[in-house]
Parts: sequence; C-alpha cells; structure tokens
Amino acid sequence: MLKRSLIAAALMLASLISAWAHGPTPQKVEESITIAAPPEAVWKVLGSFGGMADWQPLVKSVTSTGGDAPGAERVLTLAKGEITEGLDEYDAPARRYGYRMAKENIEALPVSFYTATIEVKQAPGGSEVLWIGRFYRADTTNEPPDEYNDEAAIAAMTDFFKQGLEGLKAKVLGK
Amino acid sequence: MKRLALCFLAWLGGAQLLPAVAAEIAAVVSQQAGVVTLIDLGKDEVVSEIRLAKVPASIAAASDGRTLFVTHPDLGMVSKVDVVTRNVTATFKVGKEPFGVALVDKDRALLITDWSDDALIRVDAATGAETGRTETGKSPAGLVVDDTRSLAYVADRESDQVSIIDTVTMKRIATITVGQAPFALALSPDGTRLYVGNVRSNDLSVIDTGARKEIARVKVGLMPYGVAVTPDGTRVIVSNQQSGTLTVVNAETGNFVGRARGGVFPEGVAVISGNRALMVDWAEDEVAVIDLAGMAITARIHVGAGPRSVVVLR
Repeated sequence: MLKRSLIAAALMLASLISAWAHGPTPQKVEESITIAAPPEAVWKVLGSFGGMADWQPLVKSVTSTGGDAPGAERVLTLAKGEITEGLDEYDAPARRYGYRMAKENIEALPVSFYTATIEVKQAPGGSEVLWIGRFYRADTTNEPPDEYNDEAAIAAMTDFFKQGLEGLKAKVLGK
Repeated sequence: MKRLALCFLAWLGGAQLLPAVAAEIAAVVSQQAGVVTLIDLGKDEVVSEIRLAKVPASIAAASDGRTLFVTHPDLGMVSKVDVVTRNVTATFKVGKEPFGVALVDKDRALLITDWSDDALIRVDAATGAETGRTETGKSPAGLVVDDTRSLAYVADRESDQVSIIDTVTMKRIATITVGQAPFALALSPDGTRLYVGNVRSNDLSVIDTGARKEIARVKVGLMPYGVAVTPDGTRVIVSNQQSGTLTVVNAETGNFVGRARGGVFPEGVAVISGNRALMVDWAEDEVAVIDLAGMAITARIHVGAGPRSVVVLR
C-alpha cells in the first residue's frame, strides 16, 4: 500500500518534471487579420500589455505589473485557470511586442512553453495585425496523452490567436 | 590543408568518392517538413531536398564531405544520409529522445545527447551499436567535440552547466556552471575557448577550456539559440530567437561588434566562406545569408518547413 502510493508520487513527480522541461519539437501558430482602421487606432487598443482582457474574449481578466516595459508581467485568467506571461521586447514605433510564457498551466492552455510576437502594419484599407507564436506541446515526452499532444497544443494556440484577433477587430471597430 | 586531405581521400577511395568538391554546400534540417535541404553556397541556391523520417532536429557532417547524421528526438532514432546519392542509407535506434549529434574518433563514432534520459551516448557510426554512455546534467541539448583532445562539451540545459566528457573512456571529467538554460555551443578553432549560448539569461558564456572555467558572460539578444565561431577565431556569431537578430561579438574581449535584424524565431547558425554567415529562420522557412562585414542580409533561401539546424560540408 505504502509502496503503491510511493510509486504514484514518483509518477506524479516525473510528469511534473517533464512538464517543466520543454522538449525538442516546437510548433508554429501564425494568424493575421485586416482591420479597416489606421494602425495607430489598432495599436491604441493592442499596445497596452496589461489590456488584453479588453479585446481577447478567451481572457476573463488580467492583472499586470511593469506597464509596457520589457520585464513586465501579466497574469491572464482563462476559463480553466491562470497563465503568466512576461514582456520581452516592446517597440512602439514599429507597433510590435514580443512576450513569452513565464508560468505554464496545462489545464488552462495545453502548452508547456511559448514565445510570441504581435505587430500592427499599415495595409491597404487600414491595418494588418500579424501574430506569430512558437510553442511546445504540454507533455514533451514521446508518448503524450491526446489532450497534451502536438495536435491539442496547435488547436488551442490557433483558437486563442484567431479568437483574439477577431476580438481585437471588433473592439477597434467599436462593434 | 583540409581540402588537400579530402582530395587525397578521394584518390584513395576512387575518384568518384567526391564529385566536384568545388562548391561549398550547406545542409539544413527542417523539422516540420521532415527534409534536409542542400544549398549551393556559391550560388545561394537549393540543389536538392532529401526526404527523411519525421521530425528531424540536429545534424552533423562527416569529414568525407558526403555523410550526414540527423537526430529524430520523437522517434528515438538517427538517420544516416548520403548527399551524393541523396538517400537515407541507414537508420539507428538511439536512446529515448536523441537530440544533439557530433562525430568523434575520426568519424568512426557518433556522440548523441539524450534529452529525456540525461545522457551522452556513443554509438558506432557504421552500425549504430552503442559503445558507451555517461550521465550528463538535465536535458542535454547541443554538443561540440574537440576530437584532437578526445573531449566533448555538452550543454546541460536544465542544469545550467556544461559537462566535459572524455570521449574515449566515456567518463564525465568536469562540469562548469554557465548562465541559465545553455542550449547551443561552439569551440574556437584551436579548442581553447568554448562559447555557450544561455537561452534564459540571454547571454553568452565564454569558457577557458584549459582552466575549465567560465571567464566571461556577455549579454547578447533574447534567447540565444545558435552559436558559431569564425574560422580565424576572432568573432563569435549568435542567433537570438526572441529578438529575431544575429549578434556578432569579439571572441577575445566579448565586446559587441555588430547586429543584423532579419529572422522570425531564428535558430541554427554557421559561418561560411566569403566572411558570411547562415542563419536559419524557423518561422519563415528560410535561411538568411548574412554578410558579416556589412551586417546585412544578402540572400534569403527558401527551405522545407520548420528549419532548425544547419551544417556546412567542406
């Protein structure tokens, strides 16, 4: 009995460790959207690192520290829990910033790590927002369960980016 | 000198061993596409694409100028590739998640880091049979070898250290603490300096390999993922994945020399002839050719999806 619970504890620990380390196969998510508004207007909404809850429907609330300076952090509350992100680079003239996952929560979002960059560009008829991310599945061992494999991670990240961009567009256009 | 040696080998093995050694060829591994793309660096053009098993990651080239070894972490496998016939000539099962790869013992043996088994494994390069292994730190990633001194240097990513391993006895003889999350590393041509890119602390550790000590830690861009040294040993180039840049530092002083912007999540780098560098651009499925004098991109070459690593055949 004791032996069994020890084994269970060891297995739990092993799964925790594998979740910390991010394995060797990264995946990509790349989404964009055209918005009929000047880049300045889009950046006004997007450019606040702590303001994601204003436009991303999958984020219920955000608490942030450090403003829009590199090193700033934001805690996103999603439907199934919180994840923390850190701001790496912020280039206001280029209307671009890069950030990374600082604390994972595979229940809330089935990825073990990601970096991402979001950018507003001038485009015919207004603006184009480009959002690109590089991430790893939640379980980086070679036999992940379905809910933590590459497909699950790709589906979750793609959905997060798509819904985010649609939400951003709606917010900028006041709809 | 090396070219001469190659010619001699070619003569020994019959003239057909090395078809036109003239052009410098780069081999790029694309993980999503599952291919190796060969690029003629004289023309900056793709010569051919060789299909591999899925999710290849790291690559090493033998000194015969035609044999490549590629790891497949998700398959627990290594592919042996012949660039002349453009075929996969063998596959070996190695470890649990084989990642970094290098050749030692005059190309008779392969060293492979096992990301999930925290080990460095030696296998026979002809048969794939395991001939030795040693413990490393957690999540060993990149490795470089000094075959003259029979030493391997392994970046133990989750242990913030480099392990030094005797490649004959396969015993770990030292560890050196570096910055956070070391991933890629490169040796100076004379083997006296080791440069280690630390992904999480955004810096480059400079190690005196004789003293086995870190002698400097230099800030580079965000998430350094690829490291290479120029053939004269004077400069170190570093790709910064999260900054999308290439940083050049003075190898002796660690001082900043230059920076080129031009990648979306760049990874592997290599120095090539003509004072140029290659930087793999993971997100754009391209390889950028960078003129190191002007720090400008002179060409972008389309390769298979998700390129990660590059090696130059000479």
